[in-house]
Amino acid sequence: MKQEEIPPYVVGLGVKYGATDVVAKLVELDRTMIRFSNNEVTASKSFRERTVNIFMMIKKQRAGSTIGVLSSKALQRVVKKLIKMAKISPPADIYATLPRGPFHYGPSLLKPSQVSLDLNKLINYVRETINGASELGALRVAGSLIATNLRIFLETSSEASAMQRSSSLEMSVRAFTSDVASGHSVSIAQSEREFQPAQAGRLAGETAKMAKNPRPGEPGKYTALLSPIVFADFVNQMGLLSSAFLIDAGSSFLTDKIGSEVASKKFTLIDDPTLGDTYGTRAFDDEGVPAKRNVIVQNGTLKTYLHNSTTAKKFNVKTTANAGLIVPSPWNLVVEPGGKTFEEMLSGIDDGIYVTNDWYLRYQNYRRGDFSTIPRDGIFRIKNGQINSPVRDLRINDNILRIFKNIRDLSRSRLWVKWWEVSIPTLTPYAVIEDINFTRSTT
Amino acid sequence: MEDIIQLAIDLAGKLGADYAEARFQSDVLESIVLKNGVSEVSVFGELKGFNVRVVFKHSLGFASTSTLTRRAARDAVKRAVKVARASTGVLKKGVQMGEGRLGDEKVEVKARVKFDCVDLDSKVLLLKETDTSAKEAAMEAKTKLPARMLTLDNLTTERIVVTSDGACVSSVVPRVALNSFLTVYDPQKGTAQRHFNLGESAGWEAVEKWNLPRLLWEEAYSLSTSLMEARTPPTGEMDVVLGPEVAGIVCHESCGHPAEADRILGREAAQAGETYLKADSLGLRVGSSVVNVVDDPTLPRSFGFYLYDEEGVKARKRVLIKEGVIHEFLHNRETAHQFEVESNASSRSTAYNREPIIRMANTFLEPGDYSKEELIEGVKHGVYIKNFMEWNIDDRRFNQRYVGLEAYLIEKGKLMEKVRNPVLEVTTIGLWSAIDAVGKNLNFQAAYCGKGDPMQGIPVWTGGPNTRLRKIRLGGT
Repeated sequence: MKQEEIPPYVVGLGVKYGATDVVAKLVELDRTMIRFSNNEVTASKSFRERTVNIFMMIKKQRAGSTIGVLSSKALQRVVKKLIKMAKISPPADIYATLPRGPFHYGPSLLKPSQVSLDLNKLINYVRETINGASELGALRVAGSLIATNLRIFLETSSEASAMQRSSSLEMSVRAFTSDVASGHSVSIAQSEREFQPAQAGRLAGETAKMAKNPRPGEPGKYTALLSPIVFADFVNQMGLLSSAFLIDAGSSFLTDKIGSEVASKKFTLIDDPTLGDTYGTRAFDDEGVPAKRNVIVQNGTLKTYLHNSTTAKKFNVKTTANAGLIVPSPWNLVVEPGGKTFEEMLSGIDDGIYVTNDWYLRYQNYRRGDFSTIPRDGIFRIKNGQINSPVRDLRINDNILRIFKNIRDLSRSRLWVKWWEVSIPTLTPYAVIEDINFTRSTT
Repeated sequence: MEDIIQLAIDLAGKLGADYAEARFQSDVLESIVLKNGVSEVSVFGELKGFNVRVVFKHSLGFASTSTLTRRAARDAVKRAVKVARASTGVLKKGVQMGEGRLGDEKVEVKARVKFDCVDLDSKVLLLKETDTSAKEAAMEAKTKLPARMLTLDNLTTERIVVTSDGACVSSVVPRVALNSFLTVYDPQKGTAQRHFNLGESAGWEAVEKWNLPRLLWEEAYSLSTSLMEARTPPTGEMDVVLGPEVAGIVCHESCGHPAEADRILGREAAQAGETYLKADSLGLRVGSSVVNVVDDPTLPRSFGFYLYDEEGVKARKRVLIKEGVIHEFLHNRETAHQFEVESNASSRSTAYNREPIIRMANTFLEPGDYSKEELIEGVKHGVYIKNFMEWNIDDRRFNQRYVGLEAYLIEKGKLMEKVRNPVLEVTTIGLWSAIDAVGKNLNFQAAYCGKGDPMQGIPVWTGGPNTRLRKIRLGGT
């Protein structure tokens, strides 16, 4: 069986055996990853996978599966098993029939250009990145390059039928000038034209050079200048936790906040998978609904949660085309830019801290938004509008809503960010946040 | 499958690989999700595939495929050699495989109660009973429990690993896991949240033993009383007793991760980070003489159980800190070569499409002689931190923060009222050095440890007994 024939075959089987609603999605992935550290390649990987995701409902009873691509006989076995599972599953509280197609999808969103997986080209990207960082003084450079081509075939029992291609390039690079002085940067793109690995290397190298000989930072409350990589981590929290499923599960600081102020008026957050030629561009969600631009936060006010058809019915709204069959998710987050340059933002800070990267964000309470995260790579004291000296060993320990409400400025320039710590591609400016609480280990 | 694996090993040799390792892996998962007492979905997953890893002129190549045919296997081998060959121009030291006690054995963990002997109805019924029990506990403590997420998984993993230098091991391991997330609420006090996992390498009999309704009752009741009764904790220098759950996360984050040899070599630098330890840190004192931390994959029933790692090396207990001194690192065959030691079988992978890398298994503080009462009796003024919610550690594994959830004041050797969210924000050496007494009640918790690129969340146990720290600063800065 050809792979494009598998989703309609599975949907047909599901309906035949008694499902009221069926979604079948086949994902074909071709990916090359090159990992490097200490200025050399440490592992090169090639992934070729085909998986089928199946979701079935018999009214309120649901069952789902992810399987490798199988023979038609084996697919029959799986579909029968899912029907049996759905039939004996207790009913969910909501039944929303799948959105009715057929749908029209933007042709440019369905078939963006493919990236080359030519190994010589990919190795050259790695070389350019290492060289870019080394030229700025890095002694050690580590990172990973990921090149992906993907095809998705989707079919639903409500007459949604589509095939989408997507492709992406990711470079994440960390440069070291000592064990405790480093810089990190990323470049992500949907096409080779927009991909700038050498520039990412240079930025990481430059930060690492500036970060030499850091001293332990002094804990306290500071005005903080956050790089796009750090701000993207926080924006990801806002985007991911706007999922209606997580609202319902009590796992979000945005619960009961629709129409409320959740950020400074300077902050507008959009989920925009229709933005062409970007990493997170997509034509449809996992229910086959054409992807759409959703304003999550407008001038500081929470406008919507992200929905699939089931959560939408529960919340008495329309789907936002963010299915996730169980958990709705953002696709491509965009923060509206501010009006200032980086230099203007920096010059407006009398006494502050510039944070270039962070990791390990954990909540004490998702509902309240109390959390901490650890700045890593270059951290700098700012004095009288200038970067003064590198510091180390600080932790951001605050409340995520308070941080968004305390946004003073956003920059004009923005960077697309996605890396190990930031899962959703996010276009973010630099941000100046008033009064962030920094702590430090004591013993 | 064995013939396809052998074909791959042979072909890799013909294509010039100095080393080849092929692995078949099948993961069959069943999962049910109960959100706020209502069934969300029942999930069945079956992911099978094959991968091959080669060393070609000191360059490491990995290729995976979800297609289990001879043709797909040949294609995977060619891709692995091709990507390794292409990278030879960006090598300095490169990769060589070191020594290890290679196995030729079949391992099977037999479920006493097989998963297919328990129907879906019974599983859902158990979760519903558990959910009801948690709600009743909150009601008894005069709070509400408006948000509950319970996920119950059973997973069976089959592996066959063959290497070009003689390892040939296969295994079948069933696992069960519960993931629980609770939110209690009071109109005046607000909310408190608790997340925890249970997990074992066993059949359904483990779930029966957990007594989930009773456990969730206790958790929900305790969380409720923490919300309603806990007072502001004392701050400053004092004695602190950590419960097993907290001792376990400390062992994992502040001993296990720093001891991973790939971190020491900088191989994870751009993702999970590095470590404060160096290649020459063996013998370095990092804690008091009562601190003994080990990692043992061979513990029966443990969530991180295995007898052979993904390179076919026989597993054994690893002593990471012995009497307060760094004693051993976690190695795979690649780092073993660089450190001129034998691999201690730390190479693990979560799926057929993931490269094996150095991982912990079951990391814990070895028990001492003290009862909990004796540990508490020895404290004039301090805090007992039974469990936690928030934690993190820097990417050199030196500055960490653990924020208590269920915690109690200790006054004159007695447990007193509950205190809210005491903060331990300390350095690794400061923490290990402050330990003066270790309890005898060894307990474990299940967790999924994240590392690697692509990310691999691997099952582990973290554990320890009640543990006393002297004169440690509570409250952070």
